[in-house]
Amino acid sequence: MTQEDERDLKTPVSTGHSWPRVRALLGVVLGLLLLLGGVGSAMAQTSDSGVEGKTFVIGTDTTFAPFEFRQDGELTGIDMDLIRAIAESEGFKVEIRSLGFNAALQALTSNQVDGVIAGMSITDERKQVYDFSEPYFESGIQMAVARNNDDIKGYEDLKGKTVVAKTGSEGETYAKSIAGKYGFTVKSLDQSATMVESVKSGSAAAVFDDYPVLAYGIAQNSGLKAVTDKVPGGSYGFAVNKGKNTALLGAFNDGLAKMKANGEYQKILDKYLADPTAAAPSTFWDLLVKSFPALMSGLKNTLLVTIISFAVAMALGLLAGFMKISRNILLRGIATTFVNVFRGTPLLLWAFMFYFGIPQLIGQPINIWVAGVLTLSLNSGAYVAEIVRGGIQSVDPGQLEASRSLGLGYGKSMQKVVVPQAFKMMTPSLINQLIIMLKDSSLLLAIGFAELLYQGQQIYAANFRVTETLLIVGAIYFIAIMALTKLANFADRRFNK
Amino acid sequence: MSTAPVETQKPAKITVQGLRKSFGANEVLKGIDVQIGEGEVVCIIGPSGSGKSTLLRCLNKLEEISAGQVVVDGFDVTDPKVDINEVRRHVGMVFQHFNLFPHMSVAENIMLAPVELKKATKAEAREQALKLLDRVGLRAKADARPASLSGGQKQRVAIARALAMSPGIMLFDEATSALDPEMVGEVLQVIRDLADEGMTMVLVTHEMGFAKEIGDRVVFMADGVVCESGPPSELFGNPQQERTKEFLSKVL
Repeated sequence: MTQEDERDLKTPVSTGHSWPRVRALLGVVLGLLLLLGGVGSAMAQTSDSGVEGKTFVIGTDTTFAPFEFRQDGELTGIDMDLIRAIAESEGFKVEIRSLGFNAALQALTSNQVDGVIAGMSITDERKQVYDFSEPYFESGIQMAVARNNDDIKGYEDLKGKTVVAKTGSEGETYAKSIAGKYGFTVKSLDQSATMVESVKSGSAAAVFDDYPVLAYGIAQNSGLKAVTDKVPGGSYGFAVNKGKNTALLGAFNDGLAKMKANGEYQKILDKYLADPTAAAPSTFWDLLVKSFPALMSGLKNTLLVTIISFAVAMALGLLAGFMKISRNILLRGIATTFVNVFRGTPLLLWAFMFYFGIPQLIGQPINIWVAGVLTLSLNSGAYVAEIVRGGIQSVDPGQLEASRSLGLGYGKSMQKVVVPQAFKMMTPSLINQLIIMLKDSSLLLAIGFAELLYQGQQIYAANFRVTETLLIVGAIYFIAIMALTKLANFADRRFNK
Repeated sequence: MSTAPVETQKPAKITVQGLRKSFGANEVLKGIDVQIGEGEVVCIIGPSGSGKSTLLRCLNKLEEISAGQVVVDGFDVTDPKVDINEVRRHVGMVFQHFNLFPHMSVAENIMLAPVELKKATKAEAREQALKLLDRVGLRAKADARPASLSGGQKQRVAIARALAMSPGIMLFDEATSALDPEMVGEVLQVIRDLADEGMTMVLVTHEMGFAKEIGDRVVFMADGVVCESGPPSELFGNPQQERTKEFLSKVL
């Protein structure tokens, strides 16, 4: 059953969930790919009659405090509490997948998840492809300034100043709509936490954002205060794929109505949007101790994905490097194409491609580790191929001739004579490549891979202590890379004496 | 351009017929006919750029052959069906710049081919390597790295390495050209010993005195052809061709 909410139709064009346009664009491109590939809805179908005893897979965002975020490693927030409570009251089970906003929607389109709850605004565009529940939250835009700023009390105090808003969000749309009238400039940023930092550091005078996001931050001692009334914005809804899972949608609406009636709903909102007075500032040491386990698990993932990817990159690079010096024009062509493609395109593009793009084409989700390793190893493999080619070509051709003149074949000569010498020359470049890869692995946070910087983001998205958290994360990277460099140099001295 | 007839009394170990070799548009060998008999020591002399080294490198196919036929030890090396690696095991080669493997010890350099080609176990190969090092007077250096050797020592190791597969033919490509003068003698002595043992050898050399002393026959090349060839006494004592006379007048 489809909910056509009158109020939604009247809502002016809503930009919806506050996410970078880049991702939205990517979504469009991937959507096109999907259409071209002709791979549509061929995945998991859930029966349409009744929900009791069933398990539904629910996709959500990785961090959109206070709707979903991690606290001490556990996924929590208004959306999470709500869907779990509704599931309990309606007698079904949910399996939450923290995919990232865009990935969650893609997963819904391809029926890899049954529903999505991710602080998603109900918009006319989205209603074309999804069926929405009754709105479960009325959002709105608010302006906040630094807590100690007593000069700005309203829009009229913004003349000549710069404000920040999240790229592609309703806050941005609203800020831009009044910027001319009040004479201020709007600068768009990607994350709530960085917007807060801009305001606190004084590089922006105020921030326009969804009021629950601001309210949660204020409750977490973000150091801001809201100074205007909220401007009514979009409503958030729970979504299922168009025409699918109508029973689940019905159950959600039913459960939501019951919770609103018995006060449970309000309790959940109060839990996350309560007044800031409670939160007490904690010391740097507290932050370090509290965040350490999550950061260590991030470091573990960073190191593991780097090591696996580097092993694969070495294999790929050796293969492609040898192909590049082969006499066979086809092999040379393949290797050159490989190197040019992966050196000539951004790493991040491939991360999106492997995690969002390819799954749409093949109709199968790709494990995030697989996507991460593919991304890093193919990119790095292209560089390793060049290092290998250069290393081999730097060995005196007389070495190969001497070996061949003894009656050793090309392969044996390479293996026993040329490659050992080339490897010695390649080692410093390879160590360099390994370190670059370790640092580049942080880009995988964009697809929600729980590596070190991602864990840091999760922490400051919840507690707004951006600078301190980044300092800790930076120190961990630095120590890890120093240790790795020392280890690699030791191995170099040991094996290439 | 006249090519002196090349003949030999001994059974042919190497037969070269109509050998041509071009690098791009540049023809370096313009039809070479040479026969080398078993146990014969042939020195190839001539001005630089005459194609001496290229001819030598065609004999074990380190250079692709553009046209003609080269038969070595009964193998037609121009026949693509012939396993060139097999042929090369019968032909040792010594290079101007030694080309020792710097990442291996002296003994390992010599052991590489016998071990990798499964002709000997490691222990047997080492045994043999030490014997070969004895022959070139460098047994004490068996476990040294090539980098620690003098030029003359390096070249003697290279000769020992080339002998490791017990080849029937040895090719020397300007084996003493990169050496300091005081080290030439020790290398020539090793080559002399090999000649005395009856090894079939082809030497590209600038050491005219040595060619005269050791060669059964001297081949003079110029501009990609064999200009003149004969016993050293004749070629050096009574050269027939103008080109030969001109060259000898410059180097002797």
